[in-house]
Amino acid sequence: MKPRTVTHASFTLNRHFKQSPARVFAAFATEQGKRAWFHGPEDWARDEHHMDFRVGGIETSVGGPPGGWVSSFRCIYQDIVPDERIVYSYDMDLNGDRISVSLATIEMKPEGTGTYLVLTEQGAYLDGWDKPDDREHGTNELLNNLERYLNQN
Amino acid sequence: MSDHSVAHGTFVVERTYTHPIEKLWAAWSDPEQKVKWFGAPDGGMPAQIFDFKPGGRESRHGTIPNGPTFSFEVLYQDIVRNSRIVYNYDMHMDGKKISVSLAAVEFWPEGKTTRMKLTEYGLFLDGLDTVAQRREGTAALMDQLGTFLDSKK
Repeated sequence: MKPRTVTHASFTLNRHFKQSPARVFAAFATEQGKRAWFHGPEDWARDEHHMDFRVGGIETSVGGPPGGWVSSFRCIYQDIVPDERIVYSYDMDLNGDRISVSLATIEMKPEGTGTYLVLTEQGAYLDGWDKPDDREHGTNELLNNLERYLNQN
Repeated sequence: MSDHSVAHGTFVVERTYTHPIEKLWAAWSDPEQKVKWFGAPDGGMPAQIFDFKPGGRESRHGTIPNGPTFSFEVLYQDIVRNSRIVYNYDMHMDGKKISVSLAAVEFWPEGKTTRMKLTEYGLFLDGLDTVAQRREGTAALMDQLGTFLDSKK
């Protein structure tokens, strides 16, 4: 049996966007907007996404490389203030094993005509499956996707 | 104009109880036992919902005499028997959301005693609560848990 461990870690990522808080918020709040940047690499075999963006609502995303592992993301929205903040908890499973449970906060502040975004995550990383540094790196990649999406639209 | 704010805070409460893990596990997982220690010192925060399994919910409400009404809404995210409980919870005071938290309780049996470590990461919203108060309240609950276990010799 795999030894049971819990590693606690947090990270914070900051971004400056040229777009207004309303634009940035919409990229999180609408299914079309979120799908455009919140996904795995382009070569993933499947990438199923469902979202119910309201307090108490659930979002799920399941994907993985062709013939490879299956990663599942399940999130519950716990607090939403339009154009200002989003608070949610999420779990991640890898091939059915729970690898982490996290609490995330996204805060958006106007900065001139743009937005200053702060993403803070606290995670409980379970049984040595995933590393906090990897999660921070992956989340940073998602914010890169978000930035590209906002600049293209 | 609203005055929205998020204060991030984390704390750890550790206890060693002179009771075996099975007894401690029952105090967390059995609703009839949990109500006896989890709440105001005079009791009286019964659970309307208590579904102790991954993905299950717990919901309880209570009013402090001559004080505010609190509600506590839990989503259990990972449970490994006699080893750990990971959950997120929201607290409301008089209908206003005051915090969103991620909690991990870890247990290490040491013969007939059990070491327990509770790690919480909280977002304290709009200045309605503080991490210092939550740490104090949680430490008091873990003392009540000890008193409850001692009374069940």
